Amino acid sequence: MRRRRLLPVLAGAVYGAYGAGSTAGCAAPYRSGSGRPGDPIVLTLLSHYASEPLRSAMQRAVDAWNTQHERVKVVAMAVRFQDLLTTIMVRQAAGRGADIIHPYCLWVGQLVRAGVLRPAPPATAARIRHGFTRPVVASASVGGQVIGYPTEVQAYALYCNRRLLRAAGRHEPPRTWEEMEEAAYGAARRDRHGNTLLQGLALSRTDDSTVVNQTLALLASHGGSFLSQDARRTTIDSPAGRAVLDLEHRLITGGASDPGTDVMKAFPAGRVAMAISANWWTGSLRTTMGRAYRDVQVVPLPGPAPGNRGTLTTGFLMGVNAKSRHPRAAWEFLRWLNEEPTAAARPGAASAVTRMSALQMSVGTMTGRTADMRALAAAGGEANLAPFLDALEYATPEPNGPHAQRAKALLRKNIEEMWTGRRSVVSALRSATRQIDQELSREGTAVTARTPGTAVTARTPGTVVTARTPGTAGTRPERPGRPGRPGSAERLITPLTSRRAGAR
Amino acid sequence: MLAELRHTASGCRTRRRRLITAYLFLTPVLLFFAVFLVLPLLFAVLLSQSHWDGFDLTDITFVGAENFAGLFSRGSTFLTPVLTNTLLYALGTVALALTGSLLVAHCIDRLRHQGVWRTLYFLPVVTTVVAVGNVWKYMYEPGGLVNGLLNRLGLGSVAFLQDPRTALPSVVVVQAWASVGAAVLVLTAGLKSIPRSYYEAAELDGAGQFTVFLRITLPLLRPSLLFVCVTQFITGLQSFALIVVMTGDGGPGDATNVAALEMYQQAFTYGDWGLAGAAAFVLFAVILVLTLVQLWIFRERRRGEAV
Repeated sequence: MRRRRLLPVLAGAVYGAYGAGSTAGCAAPYRSGSGRPGDPIVLTLLSHYASEPLRSAMQRAVDAWNTQHERVKVVAMAVRFQDLLTTIMVRQAAGRGADIIHPYCLWVGQLVRAGVLRPAPPATAARIRHGFTRPVVASASVGGQVIGYPTEVQAYALYCNRRLLRAAGRHEPPRTWEEMEEAAYGAARRDRHGNTLLQGLALSRTDDSTVVNQTLALLASHGGSFLSQDARRTTIDSPAGRAVLDLEHRLITGGASDPGTDVMKAFPAGRVAMAISANWWTGSLRTTMGRAYRDVQVVPLPGPAPGNRGTLTTGFLMGVNAKSRHPRAAWEFLRWLNEEPTAAARPGAASAVTRMSALQMSVGTMTGRTADMRALAAAGGEANLAPFLDALEYATPEPNGPHAQRAKALLRKNIEEMWTGRRSVVSALRSATRQIDQELSREGTAVTARTPGTAVTARTPGTVVTARTPGTAGTRPERPGRPGRPGSAERLITPLTSRRAGAR
Repeated sequence: MLAELRHTASGCRTRRRRLITAYLFLTPVLLFFAVFLVLPLLFAVLLSQSHWDGFDLTDITFVGAENFAGLFSRGSTFLTPVLTNTLLYALGTVALALTGSLLVAHCIDRLRHQGVWRTLYFLPVVTTVVAVGNVWKYMYEPGGLVNGLLNRLGLGSVAFLQDPRTALPSVVVVQAWASVGAAVLVLTAGLKSIPRSYYEAAELDGAGQFTVFLRITLPLLRPSLLFVCVTQFITGLQSFALIVVMTGDGGPGDATNVAALEMYQQAFTYGDWGLAGAAAFVLFAVILVLTLVQLWIFRERRRGEAV
């Protein structure tokens, strides 16, 4: 009898202990950082640096902070880039969002609208504007407000395989679209069954980024833009847009490009003469190509005429969660990581670089601090990074409004329909314009990335609300220690009551 | 009398105890269903009529039928090509899988070592979708096995997954191939249940192979065929993983985009959970209607036969 009673009691105790343990485990990231005297503040940092060498590079920086600081400790968490947005979403909905988030700039409008990211404090924002290049600051801002520190920066340029171009009779990299096309037709090879042996200029369709960004980089090289100034409609159906899509269409129908091939594999294998890609690829190519990397030369993206300059820049930022209980500590960690100089770029050299610049260079990418990057590039001897660094001065930032991801996907689908012969260039441009405009006008609220310091305009049907960006009159300072809701300035940009005011 | 009453009371107590025990045994399962089925279902009902970014549960805003209107508004891709692709995908899968499995089951039924054959055909079912999708993806590639065979035959290469005209049929073939094993298992069991005496009688009457198949095998196999047809159709309408593995995001363009994939993208990529919820209910309605239609057609036939 006693045994019979004992069993349920034991089972209950085990279940209770498990439940309590799992609850404590779930809440650990939040509860462990109470901030009471004697109890260290524990900040969580969520990034996409889940694979090597990214994970180790970030962990080294976090370890250095934890060694130097007694009161505030940082715990780095990482997921794959493909899972980053979903992870942010799920953790946030579950009330377990990380204190510091490291999102792709394209999502920032969406994250600000949803009240996930807290705008940078005025002093921090001012330092960011001063320390980083203009396009990089713009991509880390929404509606003129700086949201976080720009970290990993990507610009687009032309990768050339000099050996293949020489075989096609070209001894210099192309400087205009015409030269690029000629080189592409000259280098392309197919077998008698129509299989592509060698592509002249590869058009990648690995994901939205590879499809759209190469097109938008070419658009910028022609002086065009994807969205209008107020970001309320697309301007892709323009003479520049038509010229870009015509160029891509000619390359495909002329046999110089085959979007069915995986460029990320074909270029290192020596089956692509030219490709448009970002600076992260240099590190990857150097590893995968070995000695053959000597043939790789990166040059600025050609424009229609000699001397045309223009390309696209994208990137990531590190911002503080609007629900973080310790925003001051989080911003202090970000300041330490992104602003404090860590070491001289070269032994004996006077110039020192920030920890983040050193971190990015160690993994083959860049920050928007061009002085840091030039110093590091000189020390590392990577000549192929120079065109990307130059591009940071004149590149166009990727638009990052609340519907940026959807607009990008819509453009991609129409580009692919044109590539595969389902639509003509004109039809693809019209269709893309109609779909993207419909998407951008869906909620009647435009959150635009503008030049810092200008007025932020938030439109809802029938109303126009204007606020000043940080540092100017009209914006209240952030209220640390009041987690859960965005500050007043954010509310002005994305008023909750008006979110669904505009019917689809 | 008293003894009788005592006996009745004791019987009642026993029955009640049994009832309580039964409910106690059922409770974990009911709780499981409540937590993982009923609650999500109610949440989905709420979401389909709301706007939610997916980040903060306090930010759910009721918008009524706006999401459903958005799905079918002018310029929306949900009806065409997404829902059309979904139906074509399901229809193609069912047609191929049913034909193939019927043929294979019929052949296996006449072989020795039937267990070995059934196991061989069942193997794709237990293989992960990711592995199946990737292997076929490589086979379809321009320099892959399928194009290699075509080239050997003197034919030109086909851009199976890159051409919008061939992309959807290419994935349909893989889905059908992967689901033939499960259908074969059901159909061979169905074939076993047909009495041999019918075939012997047909043989005595001098019926040919084709007539036997058409007049005896097919009608008596109808319950198994109905089961295969309904389950394969539902699986086809809900397909997601194979398309993601083989085409990434339903490309090229929207050529292989299906409802489940569209829902996932609306929710997790674009942060529009309301639209995703509405799409889920539309898909649920489509599945329900098509299943009822299939059941009705088969019932009508059975009734017709009885008359």
